[in-house]
Amino acid sequence: MKKYSREWSVAAAFGLLMLSLLIVAPHFFQWQPLLSRVTSQMPAMVVALGVAMVIISRQIDISIGAQFSMCAVIAGLVAASGLPLGVAILAAIAAGALMGALNGLLVAYLGLPSIVVTLATMVTWQEALRLWQQGRLLNLPEGIQWFGQSQESGQAIVIGATALLLILLAWVMKNIAAGRAIYAVGSDAEAARLAGINPQRTTFGVFVSMGVLAALAAVMNLVQSPQIQPSCGDGMELKAIAAAVVGGIAIRGGRGTLWGVLPGLFLLANVNPALTHFHQPPYWEKAIQGLVIILAVVADGWNQKKQSNNG
Amino acid sequence: MSQPTNQPKWTALLAKHETVLLAVILVEILLFQNLGRNFLAESNVSNIFRHSVEIGLLALVMTPVILTGGIDLSLGSMMGLCAVVFGLLVKQYDVSPWLAAVAAISLGAFGGMGNAFLITRMNLPPLIVTLGTFSLFRGLAEALTKGSEAYSGFPQGFLNLGNANVLGLPAQLWVFFLVTLLVWLLVHRTVWGRSLQAIGFAPQGARYAGISVERNTGMAYILAGAIAGLAAVILVARLGEARANVGIGYELLAITAVVLGGTSIFGGSGSISGTLLGYVAIAILNNGLSRITAHQIFDQPVSSVARELSGMLTGLLLLLALAAGVLLKSLATRRARRQSLVTTTNPTPST
Repeated sequence: MKKYSREWSVAAAFGLLMLSLLIVAPHFFQWQPLLSRVTSQMPAMVVALGVAMVIISRQIDISIGAQFSMCAVIAGLVAASGLPLGVAILAAIAAGALMGALNGLLVAYLGLPSIVVTLATMVTWQEALRLWQQGRLLNLPEGIQWFGQSQESGQAIVIGATALLLILLAWVMKNIAAGRAIYAVGSDAEAARLAGINPQRTTFGVFVSMGVLAALAAVMNLVQSPQIQPSCGDGMELKAIAAAVVGGIAIRGGRGTLWGVLPGLFLLANVNPALTHFHQPPYWEKAIQGLVIILAVVADGWNQKKQSNNG
Repeated sequence: MSQPTNQPKWTALLAKHETVLLAVILVEILLFQNLGRNFLAESNVSNIFRHSVEIGLLALVMTPVILTGGIDLSLGSMMGLCAVVFGLLVKQYDVSPWLAAVAAISLGAFGGMGNAFLITRMNLPPLIVTLGTFSLFRGLAEALTKGSEAYSGFPQGFLNLGNANVLGLPAQLWVFFLVTLLVWLLVHRTVWGRSLQAIGFAPQGARYAGISVERNTGMAYILAGAIAGLAAVILVARLGEARANVGIGYELLAITAVVLGGTSIFGGSGSISGTLLGYVAIAILNNGLSRITAHQIFDQPVSSVARELSGMLTGLLLLLALAAGVLLKSLATRRARRQSLVTTTNPTPST
């Protein structure tokens, strides 16, 4: 299992954290609160899957938090106007796909660096949303929360849907031509082009998928509470990128498996609860998140150096 | 220097870019003079610069970083960390504000050194390194202030740096002039500045030409960090308060000013004068919108949503400037190719 050593070591770190929590704070594992905590991480998981694909294609997208907020508000407004939930979900997906397509257009077809493009679209969507909603809380009608089901089945739907997405996307990335093309473009776009892949179309497709996944994540977030905040996606981009990078997605593209995102996210998501349960102040969360990103990237760099020295 | 034949054409193109920017600034001034109150009043003109000089400082030092083909997303967070440490030193340890300012600038340089080490010695991509430190520096600032604490009550002599006039101009503007001169000299009149353009143009080529790519690139990040510390001190002097959320989003404004000013986001070409014009265009946009009282957007008077509106417009402006840069460049290469075709098909001039 040398091939997946990174994924396994992250999973082991997560297991170690859980084990120490089991000893220090066994009440961390009460079933209902645990289930709620897992459910509340599912939207971030879906976003992280998308950004993992973006990073594998050697791009980055930091507008995903803003896309998430925008999709959540659009879905919320459609639902609040009395239309059925299905229409709200479709509206969110359409909005996400459009925002992703704009990023994809600028990055793939104009050849602009994705970091600056998505920095600009991030601010544009964020401020447009603030201008439009003025930070108002949006009340959702009855029958939206947990898809109109009981809390248990609602949680089951959210977790099940995320698991399904993970399995599906990981399978596509491993076995389908479109998925392999993402790896190929991320490793070497010119070689991919010579091999008959259209790198521009692949990159464009990755950004559109990212938008759609952000929309799906926003819907999964929407159904978890009776209200929706226009700032619900703030900071989501860092969390998702950190989860992907910690989970072994190489920041220079072309390497990594979507399965690694799962332990990556769970390790990061439990930093804050762990701090509380070890009776430490919670203000350190952002600093630890930044440190973990840097450590993961440094580890990547070391690995690469070792490989190139051996080869 | 590397391509003497192209020299006049490139300067002509740059000059053109800067004329376009000047025209944009003029249009902004005319627009806001007609729509807003007292836009060109003397007090407001100095206000425009008093309230945005920090963005100008970041833009100045972001220019050499982008010239090398890199980027520094951590500068805004660095301001937050430096501001908090400055406040902590003055209020809790009774350090004199001027000494604490030196400490804040050194801390900025030290943080920049961290970025430089990871980017040049560990050979990691600048974007992800500074994304990490973006989170780390802001997180440290939040941790030091326990999320909400703010330091205020600084001595008046220090607050004058942010609020008083010296020789009829805002005090901090003189600092800005000094830094502008320094950065201009460094970028356009030293070997270091020339080497940055070479590195951004072709890092391998620069290495073969005997340029120390690591050290020269690293210097750009250290300079950026130090000036971010200075910007934090000036911002604290103006606000009279040091808290962890100082400088959020400033890195974007700085990048926008640089790109708007015609510096290529891929590195290799650009100028400090362009960056200055880009900064002035953004500063006027921010201030002008807050003075429009008669118009409404989404049922809100424009002046009350000026912050959101100018944020959104800044984002759009950056996208437009980027797209225009790429399109202009492809036009220029096409023209150059056509000209070279003409010269090769007609090797002997008819005269």
